[in-house]
Amino acid sequence: MNKVVRVTVMVILAFFVLLPFLWTMSTSLKPLPEVNRYPPEWFSPTMSLTPYVDMFFYLPFSTYTLNSLMVALGATILTLTFGSLAGYAFSRFQFRGKHLFLLIFLLSQMLPGASVIVPLFQLAKESGLYDTHVGLILIHTALLLPFVIWLLYGFFNAIPMEVEDAALIDGCSRLQALRRVILPLALPGIGATAIFAFLGSWNEFFFALILTASDSTRTIPVGIGLFVGEYMDVWNQMSAAAVLFSLPPLLLFLLMRRTFIRGLAAGALK
Amino acid sequence: MRKSTPYLLLLPALLFTFFVLVYPLAQNLVNSFRQVSLIRGSGGWVGVQNYAKIFGDSLFWLSFRNTLIYAIAGTMLSVLTGLGFALLLHEKIGRITSLMGFLYTIPWVISPVVAGFAWKWLLNDNYGIINYWLVQTGIVNEGITWLGDVHTALIGVIVARVWQFYPFAMVMLMAGLQTIPQEQYEAASVDGATPLQRFIHITLPNLRSVMSVLLVLGVIWSFNDFNMVFVMTRGGPINASMVLPVLVREFSFVHFDLGRGSALSVMVFVLLASMSFFYLKVLAKREAQ
Repeated sequence: MNKVVRVTVMVILAFFVLLPFLWTMSTSLKPLPEVNRYPPEWFSPTMSLTPYVDMFFYLPFSTYTLNSLMVALGATILTLTFGSLAGYAFSRFQFRGKHLFLLIFLLSQMLPGASVIVPLFQLAKESGLYDTHVGLILIHTALLLPFVIWLLYGFFNAIPMEVEDAALIDGCSRLQALRRVILPLALPGIGATAIFAFLGSWNEFFFALILTASDSTRTIPVGIGLFVGEYMDVWNQMSAAAVLFSLPPLLLFLLMRRTFIRGLAAGALK
Repeated sequence: MRKSTPYLLLLPALLFTFFVLVYPLAQNLVNSFRQVSLIRGSGGWVGVQNYAKIFGDSLFWLSFRNTLIYAIAGTMLSVLTGLGFALLLHEKIGRITSLMGFLYTIPWVISPVVAGFAWKWLLNDNYGIINYWLVQTGIVNEGITWLGDVHTALIGVIVARVWQFYPFAMVMLMAGLQTIPQEQYEAASVDGATPLQRFIHITLPNLRSVMSVLLVLGVIWSFNDFNMVFVMTRGGPINASMVLPVLVREFSFVHFDLGRGSALSVMVFVLLASMSFFYLKVLAKREAQ
């Protein structure tokens, strides 16, 4: 195929692929009369950032943003802590049941959310964790752990045994060796894993929807998904929320494209 | 080194997995044979009544059919679209290929909730830009109420699903294309094969194992997908786009019948477990090759 034709085709396709996002961006900058206008226009002279300010005041998105940040950070820290302990155990020890445990983690990743939600709801109600940040953090940690363990297991495997043996001979304990020798060496991998964990929690919708009931705990995706019907008349503010919410994943994708593609192929962020 | 060390290291992760994944599965099974109401709490054992109610419910069969259509059509269209993009990007023509590869992957990075939201707005019957274009180009006389019509609601959701899922297929298929030995193409060219013949006799057979993994994985994931349908239609209008995961929520938290919700989720689990088993078989076969 002719090169010019191919480039033209590629650019046109890119426009259609990005259409939903571009149209949402355009909507997020328009005042309401422009949003509900026929025929629709891409640009209007009255475009401004006002909807971005308004959604924080008229819709509860300032609370949602704080909730999302707290939950995602909490889940990331817990997942990374417990995930590196488990990944380290898998990578450095031979023990009975190792393959069974690995299989359990692999299978639990495929578990449908719908088939655990009712008992988890009951458990959350009984333990007082329903509609709390802590409850969501714990659930997200459990959901993210299997994937994080598999990723970290791979990263730890890439570090030669000899490095650690040297530390053990120098008198370090196992935990000291993990903290002072292995973790620093695995830092790039751990960083990438942390980002996946953060985004996994940031984007999670199903459990956050069902295990929260008030604005003081709802996260941004719950706000968008739940109110897409109710605040129908303020499409511009909802669009602004959707754009802002998409910025962290987009920026991280832009900065670390290769790591991302590898992670996607491994089944992250599904 | 003590023998218990690895088990101690694994303990926190196992506890989490147990409480959030293993225990609920068992509890779900127990629930499904009981009368459990969200408001009145647990009642007595009712045997297979919850299951019988579901099997006799036409809404279940409608949702089951919709879920199958959503999972199979959505996945096949995603893989086809992904294949098209992968072929387009395979032959490098400078930096633009890499830029386009980046842009084409963006839908996968965006949250499903935002994807559903954006498509809902795009397909809006009055102000949506898609209807505007369709009317302008004369394809239809009057805007289509995509998500508000029983005939088109599921189609609208599938379109959004394909948009979100094809990049995954594209990335995997691009990796697959790179593993095809160049010599095979050269030999075929020497024999005078046309590009179409080369595609059918070399490219496709070489991609077969990646495609089968993609299809099975895609069907499993879509079967399990709650987000897109919930955000775009909530299963409506009049249940025309209802799928099983959304129905589980409906039974449990809208009709407050946790017993029936549990029974339905046990059924979803059994269906998915058998599909996953099939997937592991496909994987094993692929490893063996």
